[in-house]
Order: sequence, then structure tokens, then C-alpha cells
Amino acid sequence: MLEQPYLLIILSSLAIGLTAGFVMHRSDFCVTACFRDVFLFRDFFLMRQMLLLVVVGMVLFEAGRLTGAISIYPFPGLGPPSLSNVIGGFIFGIGMVLAGGCVCGSLFKLGAGSAASLLAVIGMLTGSAFYAEIHPQWSAFAKSTVLIQGVITLPQWLKLPPTALLLPLATGGSFWLFREFRAGRMDRPAFAVGHLAPWRAALILAFLGFASYVLIGMPLGITTSYSKLGAGIEALFAPEHVNNLGYFAVQSINYTPPFSDRPIIGGPGPQLDAVSAIQYPLLIGIICGAFFSAARLGEWRLQWRLPRRQFVSALTGGLLLGLAARMAPSCNVWHLWGGMPILALQSILFLVGLIPGTWIGARLLARFVIR
Amino acid sequence: MPVIHTIDINIRGHICPSCLLLTLRALNQNGEALRAGTAEVVVVTDDRHATTTIPASVDRMGFHTEVTRIDDGYRIRIFGGV
Repeated sequence: MLEQPYLLIILSSLAIGLTAGFVMHRSDFCVTACFRDVFLFRDFFLMRQMLLLVVVGMVLFEAGRLTGAISIYPFPGLGPPSLSNVIGGFIFGIGMVLAGGCVCGSLFKLGAGSAASLLAVIGMLTGSAFYAEIHPQWSAFAKSTVLIQGVITLPQWLKLPPTALLLPLATGGSFWLFREFRAGRMDRPAFAVGHLAPWRAALILAFLGFASYVLIGMPLGITTSYSKLGAGIEALFAPEHVNNLGYFAVQSINYTPPFSDRPIIGGPGPQLDAVSAIQYPLLIGIICGAFFSAARLGEWRLQWRLPRRQFVSALTGGLLLGLAARMAPSCNVWHLWGGMPILALQSILFLVGLIPGTWIGARLLARFVIR
Repeated sequence: MPVIHTIDINIRGHICPSCLLLTLRALNQNGEALRAGTAEVVVVTDDRHATTTIPASVDRMGFHTEVTRIDDGYRIRIFGGV
């Protein structure tokens, strides 16, 4: 039997992953589409849902902090803002559009039987493992381009209590969203069987992020496990090389989670540790949740026939995504669902890079891939 | 009764958003025939998302849609001239 705090962490992550996978499949809640469709179709529908998720997350996280439900603030894994966040976000934006989904989106699509997403995930594992080769240089660049030392969130930088910034932002956002609801722009006709309205999904996903923060000590994050899994596969073929790479010896997580009296430690190396306990169940949960959803609707089937251009695009996009997720560091779900609600400066910079990256990705996709 | 030419688009397993992008291209190429009621576009797909995005986009262009579930996905019929 597993000891605390690992049992709680593993069970929480698995339950959150299963629910997230199910909900994302039923609602087609795809973060990539939120940004890509703005540029490709001038369609802001999913972007509104993303804003809803961020605003609700903002309210929940701040309420959690004020009531003491959230004990670690800001959450572990965040650092001072650096130019590397912008560049990582930019490459991530290109990659997620070419791959047809981000690190979470590709998982739920894989669970529903998409071979294109399987290719994207293989690309991500490879890109994440490859990052270890350039880590010494990139890490030095990231450190040398830190914009503000010793500061993690915007309120910290402005020397304001978090509520002073978050309350007006959340209030303004809520009024705007209320108007959008009343104008009928938060919902649209859907014909897929078992469809869940994206605004409902946004609410559920915001609550899942909050649950993760309360129970595990940090919101949803998954990309270190891609490095870990990639390193594990690489170690089967080149164990010496993996052992010699400094990145795989890094311990990026070292904190005492809620409901625990001792710290947990982990990193991107292939060993089983705290990162495995937090992220592997989430990863498996998202795939299985989507599989269960699709199977229950009688819609699960392996779709492996796709044009060669799309084969190349999914793999290349996945590689870029995996690499960028380590360079940024982390992914859009971590930054948008977790970092933005507390106004983490790294997350704001990630978004600054993500937007032009998505624009370029959308242009490449429309011109060279989907023909 | 005029003969209606059917333009078939079969998209299964492709990366997103192939379905909407290829449908919009077909509509741009055959818009006049659709408006005149001499052609229709029929999309067969396994992409659940497309069953929402295609009707929404097509509606803005003045066309109509009819979505039906079939054995291995969804059939979206797009037509005009009503």
C-alpha cells in the first residue's frame, strides 16, 4: 500500500484526469482551437470559454488563498519572468496548431482513437527528451534574460496584495461574460450526441484546477512527465547517455504538499518520483476519460488514415510542442488555467509569445498542410 | 425537378480543423450553385467539433445545414436556395 502523501496525490490526479478527459471529449474543449480559430476563422466562441475558465479560476484561487484552502502561494514550479517564457510560448503556439492539439488536447483526442494525436504525442515525447541535449545552453540563456529578479506574480512586482488586482479584473471579466451570456454568444447549437456545452466544461475544468491546487498543491500540469517518459524510453536504448545528461538529474519539484508533513521531490529524469505521482495519473486519466466517453457513445474507433502532409505536420508539431514545453517552461494548460488566474509573470509572457506563434502556425497549416 | 449535384467531402481521422477548412473551401468554389439550389455539399466526418463549427460558419454565409448521425460518424448536408 502506498504511503501518504503519495496515495492522495495519485488518487486525486487520476480522478481529475478522468473527469477532465471525459469533459474535454464531450465538449470538444480544445485550447489550441481557442486561439487558432480566432486567426483562422475569426471565430471567438471558444476564446470566450477560455476567458470564462480563467476568470472562474481567478475567483476560486483567490478565494482559496483568502480562506486558507490554498496553503502554498504562489504554487511551486513557477519562477521569475524571463525572455525564455516568450520564446517558449511562441514555439509552443506554432507546434500546437501543426499538431492539431496541445499536450492535453492531443491526449483526449488520442483517447478517442485519433492516430494523428498519437503521432503528436510521440513527437512531444521526443521533443521533450531532446530538450535535455540543449538544456545547459538554454538554461543559461533563461537565467541571463530574467526580466525581474525574485518576483513571480504581477501583484508581487507591483507590491500590491493579490486581491487589489484580482478583484477588479475578475469583476470586470464577470460583467463582460454576463453580457456575452445574455447576448447568446456563450452557447451555440450542437448536434453531436452527448454534447456538453463548452461553458459548462470551462466551469468544470476551472473547478478541477482548483481541486488540484487544494489537494496536490499546484494546478494542472503535465509536461514534465513527457520528459520523464521520453527519458525512460531513451534510457532503454542509450542508458549511459541518459545518465550523463544533466537535465535528467534536475529536481524541479521540491515542496511539502497539503495534507503532508514531509516534502516530495521529483524531476524530469526517468525514475519514479513526485513528478510521476502527480502527472502520470493525470496523463493516463485524460486518455482513459476520453476513451470511456467515446466508447459509451459508440464513437470510439481508431482513425489512422490521414494524408501524408498531416502525418508530417502532427509529428513536427508534436516535436516543437515537446521542445517548447521544456523551454517555456511548461504548457498552455499550466500557464493559462493555473498561472494566469494568479497573474504569474511567466504565464503572461508565455501568452505574449503564444499568440503570434498561433498566428504563424495557423498560416502554415492553411497553406501547406490542409489542402 | 432540377438535378442536384452532390459534392462529397469525406474527412475521417484528419487533424483539426481539416473538416471546417475544406468545407469552407468547397463552399467558396461552389457557392453560386448552392445558392441556385443546383448543388449541395455533403460532409462525412468523425469530428464531433465539426458538427458545431460547420453549421455556425455556414449559417453566417447564408446556407443551411442538416446534421445526422451515421454509423461511423456524422453526415452534414449543406444546401442553399431555400
